[in-house]
Amino acid sequence: MSEHSERSVRGRAPGEYEAERSAVPASAPIAASPLPQWRRLDPRTLLVHCGWMGAPLGSLALTALATGGKINAGAWITLAAIAASFAVITAIGLVRWARTEFRVTDETLDVRSGLLTRRLRSVPLHRIRTVDLTASPLHRLMGVTVLRAGTAGSGDGGGELALEALTAAEAHRLRAELLAHADTEAAAKDPVLARISWRWLRYAPLTFWVVGGVFVVAGSVYRVLDGIGIEPWKLGFVQRAFTEFGASVLWLTIPAVVLAVLALGSVGAVALYIENWWNYCLEWTDARTLQVRRGLFTTRSVTIERARLRGVLLREPLLLRAGGGALVRAVAGGLGNREENRRRSGLLPPAPRPEALRVATGALQSPFPGTELMTEGAKSSHQAAISPPPPPSSLPLLTPHPRIALRRRRVRGLLFAVLPGTVVLAGLGAAFTPVLLPCAWIYAVVTTPLVLWLARDAYRNLGHGIHGRHLVTRSGTFSRDTLALQREAIAAWTFTSSPFTRRAGLVTLTAAVAAGEESYRIPDLAADYAPSFAAAAAPGILDEFLTVPTNAFPGAPSPDRYPVSRPRYPDSHQGSAT
Amino acid sequence: MPEHAAPLLRPPRHRVDPRARRWWTVQALLTLSGPMLLTALVMAVLSVLFFPGALPWLGPLLLVVLVLPALGYLLVMPRRRYSVHAWELGSRAVYAAGGWFWQKRRIAPLSRVQTVDTMRGPIQRRYGLATVTVTTASTAGDIKIAGLSDADAEELSRLIGEAAQDVPGDAA
Repeated sequence: MSEHSERSVRGRAPGEYEAERSAVPASAPIAASPLPQWRRLDPRTLLVHCGWMGAPLGSLALTALATGGKINAGAWITLAAIAASFAVITAIGLVRWARTEFRVTDETLDVRSGLLTRRLRSVPLHRIRTVDLTASPLHRLMGVTVLRAGTAGSGDGGGELALEALTAAEAHRLRAELLAHADTEAAAKDPVLARISWRWLRYAPLTFWVVGGVFVVAGSVYRVLDGIGIEPWKLGFVQRAFTEFGASVLWLTIPAVVLAVLALGSVGAVALYIENWWNYCLEWTDARTLQVRRGLFTTRSVTIERARLRGVLLREPLLLRAGGGALVRAVAGGLGNREENRRRSGLLPPAPRPEALRVATGALQSPFPGTELMTEGAKSSHQAAISPPPPPSSLPLLTPHPRIALRRRRVRGLLFAVLPGTVVLAGLGAAFTPVLLPCAWIYAVVTTPLVLWLARDAYRNLGHGIHGRHLVTRSGTFSRDTLALQREAIAAWTFTSSPFTRRAGLVTLTAAVAAGEESYRIPDLAADYAPSFAAAAAPGILDEFLTVPTNAFPGAPSPDRYPVSRPRYPDSHQGSAT
Repeated sequence: MPEHAAPLLRPPRHRVDPRARRWWTVQALLTLSGPMLLTALVMAVLSVLFFPGALPWLGPLLLVVLVLPALGYLLVMPRRRYSVHAWELGSRAVYAAGGWFWQKRRIAPLSRVQTVDTMRGPIQRRYGLATVTVTTASTAGDIKIAGLSDADAEELSRLIGEAAQDVPGDAA
């Protein structure tokens, strides 16, 4: 969590220029040159680097406390390992500290580092756009601060120089020094798309997996306790509480526990939201660079070049959607692997949907399809499914998918959610105890309408269309995702079908892009319509493989079936299909 | 279906090598059908030797759970695959169809092609077959044509390489 922002910017953008120099002794005489002296980082940085030892030392102390001061052989080994790591890390930190120097000349900020290969990074002051001071709680304890200087990210020249760490006073001085020269005017003129508004906090509990999160935390606490040799179930007060409340007043305990879990989850979600999105700011730092900055304890900053921004994804998870909220993600290349991409592509935290639409439009720099219009269309879906009413505004509606997709969703839900639970409960009931038989009934009766409702919602959410330069698709019920994808970014088309979809006359179309999650599905399109839609959305990919079917053969085999008995290769399938 | 004026996607023109059926059969034997049949056999033998009483219910169970699915996979999969797998190199794009249960047709423009790999596994080599993989910048755009004869694979990878050179593109 704490490193990704740095890698995001530094990894790709190595600064204004880099020069490798033959090793210059750290104590080289500089008095001769008119340049200012090289300065060192604060030695307290060394202590910050040792901060990770808090956790093992703490658990060791807890063990000692729990076992009454007796430290067994395992604990001694842990202690020795910690001591050895301490020595190594201190040594590395010491070398790094001794070999890292910086200075501010009239024109540039220079940083040189490296033990054997000396590296000099030099950033012209006028290109510095932002100077951030960030300090983790540990940094604060030591009275030091990390300084990050962000530059205009035009091309690969954009980037970030970080000095880790300076005393707080020196950091503030240096920031003033840097910003005096910096081209802050250019930064000030740039449009800011969004800033954090703490009213959005009400959406936080709707996003975090509230209940699950509590169990995850409880599980890890249990594991930690277990790891240091404390078995919570054997502690006296836990057992007493269980026998007194758990068993005797069960009808009071269960709602109380549920409430407690919900409250804890909400508090956790709000805390997480604050940590993640403190000081959030989304802006075009110049015409070609979109930047997201956020974070309380750990500041994250992600810079996305406009050329790499291939689209925008509007996500509305079920709960958030019910609360009228949405979040926005970028579909951009170069954000790292799938996991990194998930963490770093966020453009807007859970926020009101109008705000999300505004941000999506700003990031896209062309109107994002208004979801309100589409939900209106969906409300009258019985007619929308046949012929969508003309859109009330210039933004066209999304085209709904064939009605048979609804049946598929219903069948899928009944088959994979209702049936297994009912069968298992009924089977167990028949085999062991008849108490479970009514449970099976209740399960079936409760889940069936729920599944049918979800299926209907999933079907209504399906839609696709072409909006100017963008391909727009929407799908999903647990998370309704609306994607606007640059049409020219589509690198390949895939048509996927199974025996079931082939029978239903459907096909799933997948657009491949070298950005974001790489593949974006448009599920359950009519099989005889998908090719023309794909050809219209991204011309020039599949045109030469299209044929116009002749209506003279109404009984012609489905275009998705291959003739089974054909002579050997090479041959033409085409002749046989008609 | 009503009359469709909309154009349809036709299958790729060229089938893969007929020997691919044998390759897929061997693959099925090694990965799924073989182990399943072997398990069924071992369990049946053990049952006959040690628990003869279990045979009346174990026999049908093994037949339904292991033997029939294994045989079905062994017999159906290679044929279905052979009827589905096909490829074509157009003037501007590569087109391939594959799969047997879930079928997949993928088209990638030549302007996006990054590399063309030819791969020969140990079983493939026995049958003189090869797999050509055309990679693009997006992992979801990689095209895999399995079961080509060696000569075709060579020719195809050369042609794609040349065509990709001719078609101007950013490969991004």
